[in-house]
Amino acid sequence: MGTVTIEIDGVSLEAETGSMIIEIADDAGMHIPRFCYHKKLSVAANCRMCLVDVSNSPKAVPACATPVADGMKVLTNSTKARIAQKSVMEFLLINHPLDCPICDQGGECELQDVALGFGNDVSRFTEGKRVVQDKNIGPLIETDMTRCIHCTRCVRFGTEVVGMREMGATGRGEHMEIGTYIEKSIESEVSGNIIDLCPVGALTAKPSRYKARAWEMQSTAGVSPHDCLGTNIEIHHRRGEVIRVVPRENEKINEVWISDRDRFSYQSVTDSERLTQPKIKKDGQWQTCDWETALTHVCDQLNNIKQSEGVENIGALISPSATLEEMYLTQKLMRGLGSHNIDHRLRQVDFSSQFEAPMFPGMEFDIDALEDMDATLLIDADLRREQPLLALRLRKSTRHGRVMSVHSGEVENNFKVSPNVSVPASDLLAQLQGIVAALIEQHKEVSAELTELFVDIKPTPDQQTIASELRINDNACLLVGQSALEHSKSSHIRWLAKTISDLSGCAFGELTAGANTAGGYIAGALPHRLSAAEESNICGWNTQQMLQKGLSAYLLMNTEPELDSSYRDAARVSLLKSKFVVMMTPFAKGEFLDYADVLLPIAGFTETSGTFINVCGEWQSFTAAVKAKGEARPAWKVLRVLGNLLELDGFDYVSSQEINAAVKERFESTTDARVGHFQRPDSLESGGEKPRPLSMYDMDSLTRRSLCLQMSVQGQDNWRRDQIEHLVASQSLPETESPDSLINLSASSAESETASLQESSDA
Amino acid sequence: MSSEDPKRLTTMISAKAIEEIEHWRSKYPADRKRPPIIAALKVVQAENENWLSEEHMKAVADYLDVPHIAVFEVATFYTMFHLKPVGKNVISVCTNLSCMMCGSDKIVEHLQSRLGIKLGETTSDGQFSLKEVECMAACGGAPMLEASEIYHENLTPEKVDSILNDLGWEA
Amino acid sequence: MLLKLKQFFDTFFLVELLKGLSVTGRHLWKQKITVLYPEEKTPMSPRFRGLHALRRYPNGEERCIACKLCEAVCPALAITIDAGPRQSDGTRRTTKYEIDLFKCIYCGFCEESCPVDSIVETRVFDYHFEKRGEHIMTKAKLLAIGDKLEPQIAADRAADAKYR
Repeated sequence: MGTVTIEIDGVSLEAETGSMIIEIADDAGMHIPRFCYHKKLSVAANCRMCLVDVSNSPKAVPACATPVADGMKVLTNSTKARIAQKSVMEFLLINHPLDCPICDQGGECELQDVALGFGNDVSRFTEGKRVVQDKNIGPLIETDMTRCIHCTRCVRFGTEVVGMREMGATGRGEHMEIGTYIEKSIESEVSGNIIDLCPVGALTAKPSRYKARAWEMQSTAGVSPHDCLGTNIEIHHRRGEVIRVVPRENEKINEVWISDRDRFSYQSVTDSERLTQPKIKKDGQWQTCDWETALTHVCDQLNNIKQSEGVENIGALISPSATLEEMYLTQKLMRGLGSHNIDHRLRQVDFSSQFEAPMFPGMEFDIDALEDMDATLLIDADLRREQPLLALRLRKSTRHGRVMSVHSGEVENNFKVSPNVSVPASDLLAQLQGIVAALIEQHKEVSAELTELFVDIKPTPDQQTIASELRINDNACLLVGQSALEHSKSSHIRWLAKTISDLSGCAFGELTAGANTAGGYIAGALPHRLSAAEESNICGWNTQQMLQKGLSAYLLMNTEPELDSSYRDAARVSLLKSKFVVMMTPFAKGEFLDYADVLLPIAGFTETSGTFINVCGEWQSFTAAVKAKGEARPAWKVLRVLGNLLELDGFDYVSSQEINAAVKERFESTTDARVGHFQRPDSLESGGEKPRPLSMYDMDSLTRRSLCLQMSVQGQDNWRRDQIEHLVASQSLPETESPDSLINLSASSAESETASLQESSDA
Repeated sequence: MSSEDPKRLTTMISAKAIEEIEHWRSKYPADRKRPPIIAALKVVQAENENWLSEEHMKAVADYLDVPHIAVFEVATFYTMFHLKPVGKNVISVCTNLSCMMCGSDKIVEHLQSRLGIKLGETTSDGQFSLKEVECMAACGGAPMLEASEIYHENLTPEKVDSILNDLGWEA
Repeated sequence: MLLKLKQFFDTFFLVELLKGLSVTGRHLWKQKITVLYPEEKTPMSPRFRGLHALRRYPNGEERCIACKLCEAVCPALAITIDAGPRQSDGTRRTTKYEIDLFKCIYCGFCEESCPVDSIVETRVFDYHFEKRGEHIMTKAKLLAIGDKLEPQIAADRAADAKYR
C-alpha cells in the first residue's frame, strides 16, 4: 500500500491509500462530527453528520466513506461544510426529543455535544415528533427508542463483532425502528458494549439508570477481576459509591470492549449485603467485634491449633482472582507459621504435572496476535463462557483463518468452527492423541520413543485436518481452555497439547481461571513452590487434599470453596468438620456463615489496590477507586497486621506497591520463567472425567451476587436459582422520603404568611 | 440459536411452495443466505391467506438459516408483506413527502370515510384493508395508491371512487 | 483668585453647615415613614430570592426531574441530589434533594437553570432554625413550602414571564 498526501484544513497529511478521510483526520487529532462511524465497525455512512467539503466535488461528501486521493483538499469548516452539517443536524433533531434533562445520556451525549457545536440554536420544526415504543431487551440494557437516531452502530456491533445478529432495523422511513425480534431479550454476553456505542440515550445501562450524571462522577482506572485477560476498565464513582464500569481502551488486550460481567459485576459490591465489621462466632451465634479482638482471636486460635494438632493441619485457600499482593502475603503468612498447605487452584483436579509445569501457565503469544492467526485449535475451551473477549478476538481471525475445536460437552461459538469435534470428557484424550498421531504421520523427524507411543493410534480425517492445518500455517496456535484444567487427566492433556504444539510448530497457550492465576503462581500461592517458582523443600497439600482429607483450620482468602472449587460437597463437609475457619470476605451473606468461626471484612472489587498478572504475563497494577464499606480494610493490610500479631518476620509493608516490588524483584531475578518441562509419560492414558461446568455467572463470588447478571439470559441457566430470590429481596429500591416536619416559616405567624405575601405583591 | 426444528416450515406450507423456495434459493451462492428471504416470504404469505404470522417468519428464518431479526427486517420493510390478517383487497396509500404535498391527506380521508375504516384496519366483511405506506417510487404521479398490486396515480376523490367501484365496493 | 475669595467667605459664614442643616430641617417637618415590621412590609419584587421551594404541576405531580443542573450550577455546592427511577412508573425522579441553607448564597442560579421551573426561590426571607440540622432542607420540606406558597410563586413567575 502506498501513501498519498492530502490536505485537511490547510494541514498537509500523509495517508495510506484506501483509508477514509475521517481516519486521517482522527489520527491528526482533527475533529469531524460523526454518529454512525466507529473505528471498530464497518462504514455505514447513514447519519451524514461527517459531511465535509472536498475540492472538485460539487456537494459535501461523507468523510467516513470517502477514500483519500492524492492531492485531495478537504475543508471541514468551509461554508459548504458548515451548511451541510447544520442541515444534517436539523434533520436528526426532527424526531429526536429535546428533553435532555430527563435523558440518562445527558451530559455525555454525542448528539447533545454535536448539536451544540454544529447545530442551529433554534428549532424550526413545529410539527409533532414521532414516538417509538420502548422495548424490553433484558435486565442489562434500558431502551428509550424515541431517542434513537438510527445510526445502526448497535446493529453492526451485533453482526460484525459479536457474530450474533440480535438487533435489527425494522420498518421503513418514518416507521423505521431499531429493535430485537419482537420483544426478545438480548442474549449476547458482551451486549453491554452497545451502551457505549449508542451515541444518544436510546440504549443506556439499566442498573445505573438515572443514578448519576457524567460530570459528577470521578473515574479510576481498574482491571477486571473476572477472566485471565486482565481487561482494562474504568470505574466511575460518585461520593464513594461505584456507579458504573466502562471499558478503558487497550488495543493489546480488550480493544474498546468489555464483557457484561466486567461491566455489571460491580453491583455485587454496591448492592448486596456487605460485611462491615469483624465477627466472631461464639456458641453458634455471630457477634460483632472490633478488629483487635478479631485478629487476636485468630492468632490465639491458630497458635493453639499449631500447638495441639501440628502446623500441618492448617491450610489456606485463595481465590484465583485475589491480587498478587494478597496471594503473596497469604502464602508468606502460612509459610511463616510453618505450613505449606496453600493453594489458589480451586478448580484443578489433576496436580500430577505441577513440578514440571512452567513458572505460570499462560499464553506464549500476545492476545492481539490471536486475530492474525490462520489456524487456531481450541482444546476444550468454551471461550464465550470463560473469556468472552477472547472469543471476539478469535472471531476476527475467522475472516481469513480457520478455527478448529476439540471439546467435551456442549460449546456454542459465535464464529465458524470446522472441524468442530464434540466428545464426552472421557474421549478428549483419545482425540488429542489422534491429532498427535496424525502429526507424527505427517512429520518425518520424530523421536522413536514418541512414535512408539502412538503407534497404535489411527487418526480420523478430522484429526488429520487439524494436524495439517496447524502444521502448514505459519500463523497457527492452540489454546487449552480453562475447563481443560478441570479435567481429571489435565496433566496428560497439557502434555498432549504441548506435544501438538512442538510437532506442528504452532504457538502454545493455556487459559486460566480467575483474573490472577499467573499471579498466584508467581506469588507462590502453591503448596510445592515458593514465590517466583523457587522449589520448596516441603510440599504441602493442594486444594484437593485440603478439602477432601480435611484440615483442622482453614484460612479462606475471599473464596467460598463450596461454590468456587471443584470439590463442592467435600468442601462443605471438611469446612463444617474443621475446628477453626477464618473467612476473609467482603460479603455478609453466604454459606460460610455456617462453617466459618471468624469473619474478617475485607475490601471488595474496586476498593483495593493491587496487581493482576494476565495470561500473557503482563503485570497490571491498579488503585482503589472507592473506600471500603464500614470497617472493612484491604486484605493486604489485614494480612500484614495478622503477620505482625503472629510475630512473623517481613510484614512491614506500608503500601501494596512495596509488596508488588518485593515480588517483582524475586520474579525478575528468575530465568527461563516460561519454560515448562513436561515429561513424556511411559504410556498413554485414557478416560477421565470433568465436573459439571459452571454457568457463566456462577464462576466467582462477584457475578453470583450481581442481581442484573443473574437475571440475564446467561444467568437463567444458573442452577442455583434460589440465589436470585435472595438477591431480589435484599436489593429493593429505596422509597422516596415521606414528608416530615415543616421548616419554621417566618418568625411571626407562619399561618398568615401566604396572605401577607399576597398583600405585599398587590401593593 | 433456536431450539425448534429448523425444517418445521415444511410442515407449515405445501410441498409445492417449499419447492418454489428451493428454486429461488438455488439461484444464489450457498453462502449467501439472505437473498431468498423476499421470495420465501412471498411464497409463505401466498399460502397463508395473504399474511405472515410471527411463527411463519421464525420458521422461514430457521429454514433459511438466517437470524430471526433478518427476516423480520425484510417483512417489515416491504409493504407487500402483511403482518396481520388483511382483507381480500389491500389498498396501500402513500403518505410520503411528494404524495403528502400533492394532497394524500385528502385521499386518505376520503378512503376512510368511504370504507368506514381507519388506516391499518379491515372492513367487517373482510373485503378491504387500508394501509399507509412509505414511498412506492411513483412520486411523478403523486398522490398515488396501490390496490391489489396495481398502481393508481394522480388521484382525486372521484378517481378513488371509481377504483373502489372497480374493486366491487358498495357503500 | 476669585475662587479662593469665595471659599474664604463660604467658610467664614458657615454656608456648608447651613446647607446641610436645611436638609435636616426639611425632613424634621415631613411625614414620617416607619414600617411596622412584621405587621407591615415593604413592597417586594417578584424576583425576590428568598427561601427555596420545590413546585408541583397542577395535577400534583412533582416538577423536578432530577436533571441535576441546579446541583451542577450551584456556586456554593449547597445542593445535593440523588436520583433514580421511581418505583411506580420508572420515571426519572430524585430520591434525595437537599439544600444546605448555611451554604446557600441565594444567587438564584438554581432557579435560572431549572428547565421545568421546579426549584424556585420564594419571597420568604424571615425564617429560623431551632435545632441543629434543620438548615438542611429536605425534599419533603421543600415540596411542602412549594405546596403552601404555590399561588404566590405562580403569580410571581407569571409577572416575570415576559422578561424570561
